[in-house]
Order: sequence, then structure tokens, then C-alpha cells
Amino acid sequence: MAGVVVKGRFPRRRLIQVVATNLVRHLFGGAARSWARNFGSTAPALGSMTLLLLMAGLVGLTGFALHNLEQVETGQASLLHVYLRDDAKPTDVAALWRHLLNDVRVAGVTYVNKDQALERAQRIPGLPQLADATESNPFPASLDVQVKKIDDVAAIDALVRYDVAVDPVYPTSYDEGAYQRIQAVLFGTAVAGFALLSLLGFVAVTVTMNSIKAAIHARRDEITIMQLVGAPRWMVRGPFVVEGAITGAVAGIVAGLVTFGLTFTGITAAAGAFVRFAPGVTVTVAAAAAALVLLVGLALGSGSSLISLRRHMET
Amino acid sequence: MRPIVEFAGVTRVYGSRVALDDVHLELLPGELTFLVGPSGAGKTTLLKLINREIRPTSGQLWVAGMPAHQLKSSRVAELRRRVGVVFQDYKLLPRLTAAENVAFGLQAGDLKVSDEEARDRSVDALEAVGLGDRGDAFPHQLSGGQQQRVAVARAVVGQPQLLIADEPTGNLDQETAWEMMALFQDIAAWGTAVLVATHNVDIVTRLQRRVLTLVHGRLVRDQPAGRTGRMAWLASS
Repeated sequence: MAGVVVKGRFPRRRLIQVVATNLVRHLFGGAARSWARNFGSTAPALGSMTLLLLMAGLVGLTGFALHNLEQVETGQASLLHVYLRDDAKPTDVAALWRHLLNDVRVAGVTYVNKDQALERAQRIPGLPQLADATESNPFPASLDVQVKKIDDVAAIDALVRYDVAVDPVYPTSYDEGAYQRIQAVLFGTAVAGFALLSLLGFVAVTVTMNSIKAAIHARRDEITIMQLVGAPRWMVRGPFVVEGAITGAVAGIVAGLVTFGLTFTGITAAAGAFVRFAPGVTVTVAAAAAALVLLVGLALGSGSSLISLRRHMET
Repeated sequence: MRPIVEFAGVTRVYGSRVALDDVHLELLPGELTFLVGPSGAGKTTLLKLINREIRPTSGQLWVAGMPAHQLKSSRVAELRRRVGVVFQDYKLLPRLTAAENVAFGLQAGDLKVSDEEARDRSVDALEAVGLGDRGDAFPHQLSGGQQQRVAVARAVVGQPQLLIADEPTGNLDQETAWEMMALFQDIAAWGTAVLVATHNVDIVTRLQRRVLTLVHGRLVRDQPAGRTGRMAWLASS
């Protein structure tokens, strides 16, 4: 004959410590064990998410560099060099200068003499050889006009192009359509990057959802029992969210390290080229990008798990 | 005495099929009640309603003082902690020992239970079901009857007000089935309402406890304890 169920109350000792221990063990310990046990079904999710995050990191850094490049180009495009005739009279040059300064569309005007123009040309790749090839200085003096709005550069060019002080052969640095071409290239690159990341994101989220579905299936008895003994919903679902977050975190760490490593290698190996073609991309920016990749990985992993739980776990 | 379970005109419909039709009944603390009827009569539906696995289509259902008919999802766990459940297939986790299975049921439902307390209460519950010396055994090392006892220990270790069992003797031989019934009587004697859905006519007839008979979703007979009645549903099954 069996005995009876004891109805006594047991003392609640060290309540916070007990709750914390149970919480950590159940949420994180359980999730880690399950993640390791189901590594076979998690591996594809891990791979696709790592690839996604790596691409996101690299595309993000490229986008950042292109944005900075655009800023530089925009600044340069709104700076109009008005080349002066070698025989221009100082009074004509002064008159043109005053005329430009009085124009509300102009932010500032700087006079650059021939020596300064030569000095500046020698800093531009390819031009030092040209400068050295002739005995005389081939670079004209100029008025460098900083236009407030890039859209007004054409009007300022038209204003000064036929001035008596201006070189009639090569009057200004204005290149109609140059800025629009840069914008078009940047827009095309952004669209292509967004499309690629969206596709990769879809694949990564889908594969992660399937891996969580497999984990739910593997632990269905445990889930059923937990639900029937009155485990709160968050306690039943929590380990799966953590499991997804672990996948995202591991993928994020790998992708973040590779992103940082590639950028760091690029910066140290070709610092000059990096400054010119990827302005603003420094070691600090690379570290921030790696951290961001990790955070995105965590969010993607746990988010995918939540979607999968909503679809596949019975309430 | 306030009822632990109260059905008031409860109907449950699956699509166009009526699984439970306008059921009125009450279960009192300390009462061992059998739920009988042919297959498809609505026994499992009735148990699922009590454990709030499903909601009634209409009517009111109160379980341990909680309105199961309008209970929010966020409060379902609270209700289930007041109801112990035993299944025909035991539903033990194979990688855990008997004691760990019982403790799992306790700690999954209540984070405030320490390992030490869970161990103590698991041992007590296992002793109560006559398995005090098999706590370290894994389910595959136990007989069917012993596994069902572990499942009962897991169901009652949280001291629920109500224990429901769906065909708990379905996989057991007659002798073991009688042992299980003795266990349910003990649990009821300590004030827990026990509702057992079963096809075992012999046990129902000889124990002379309260018998609820469901046929085609309708509660056709509520036979009080101490009476020996004809199993009306046998004729229709």
C-alpha cells in the first residue's frame, strides 16, 4: 500500500539566490546544452547568419566610406576654380573678386597665385611629373569660389566664364553632370547592397527559424510537461530565444572579428589608399562596426527564434 | 464545501462537431470521481477544458477558483499549477531519473524552489507513491506501473487542489491498475479532488465511487458514490 503525499510547507531560503540560480540554469544552461546537442541542425543557420553578418559588416563599412566620399566630392563639387588669364590686370581680378564676394550664393572667395597652384598640383598623383616636365609653371592663378549650394555652381560658372580676367580657353573647373554621376553610382551601389543584404537576411532568418523548429521538435516532450505542470510561457519559450541568440552571437562574433581583421589589415597595409578611397574608416570605426555586427547577430538570432516559436509552438 | 471544479452549461464545439454539450457538474475537494463513456464521448475534451488546454465554446467553467472560460493566456500557468495531470503514456523524460522527473515538474512550475527543497519533496512524493527506493532509476529501468507512479508523484508534488488522470490504467495490467486506484484513493483522502477518465469497468463498478457518464458529449448520468449502477454507456459503445 502506498503512502500519502506530504502536504508540509518547506522554508523559502535564500529566495533571490535560488530564483537567480534556477533562472540562469534553466534559461542559459538549458539553452546552451540544447544548442550544443542540436549543433547539426544549427550549423546551417550559423553558417548563413555568419555570412550575412560578414557581408553586412563589410557592406556597412563600404557604405560608410562611400558616404564620406560623397561628402568630400560634394564639397569639392561646390568649390569652383575660376582660372585667371596669365595677363589679367590686377584691377580686373579685383573687380571679379568683389563681384563674386557680393553674390549671395557665394560663401567665400580665395585667391590662389600660380606658385600656390603649382604647389597644390604637386600633391595630386600624376601631376608632379607634368609640373617637372616644363621649365615654366603651367598652372594658372585662380579664384577658388566656395558656392553655398551645389545647385548654384552652374549659375556662378555662367556668370564668370566670359569675364575679361578669366582664361578664355579653360575658364573654370565646372564639369556639368559630374556630381550627378557620382550620385547615380552611389545610389546604384546602395540599392545593390540593400538587395543583397535583404536576400541574405531572408535566408539567414529562414534557416534559423528552421533550426529552432528542429530544437522545438527535439524537446517537445519536455515542452509538453513544462506546459502541463504550469511553467510560465516565458519560461517555456525563453530557452529557445536564448538558443537563437547564441547562434546569432556566435555568428556575430565570427563575422565581427573577420570584419575588424580585414579592415585593420587594410588600414595597416595600405594606409594612403584607405584614406583616399575609404575616408573616415579608421580602426575605431572598424571596432564599432564589429560590435554592431555582434548586436545585429543577437537581435537576428533571438528575433528569428521568436518568429519560429509563434509559428511552431503550441500554447 | 466550495467546489474545486464547476461546469455551468459548458459546450465545446470542434467545427461542426459538438464534443461537449451543455455540461453541468461540480467536483468537491477530497472526492474521487470516475469519468466514463465510450470513445469519442468527450472525456478527454472535458479534461482538457479543466486544464485550460482548450476553452469552452460557451458556458462557464471555474477551476480552483479561477474562471477557465475567460482566463487570459498569461494566467494559464497559474491555473495549471493548481491542477495535477496524469497521462496514459506517463510522459516521463527518459534522460532524467525518477526523482529528477518529479523535481523537474516542481521546479519548472516554480522558480522559487531550490534544488535541496526539490530533492526533499521529490523523495517524499516518491515515498508516498511507494517508490522511495527507486528515485535514482531511469524510466526505462522501471515497470509500467512504476513509471505511472512516478508520473503521479510528479503530478501531486506541487500539492495541487485537483488531480486529473486520462486513462491512467490503460497501459497497466489489472493488478497494477488496482494499485494505482488505491493510490488515487489515498490522494483523495488527503483532500485533493481526483477525476479519473477510464474504460476500466471492473474498477469503476467495484470501487463504488462517484461516476460521471458521458455519451456523445452529454452528461447522461451522475451516479453518487456508494451506488452500484449499470454502466449505461456500455450499451451505446
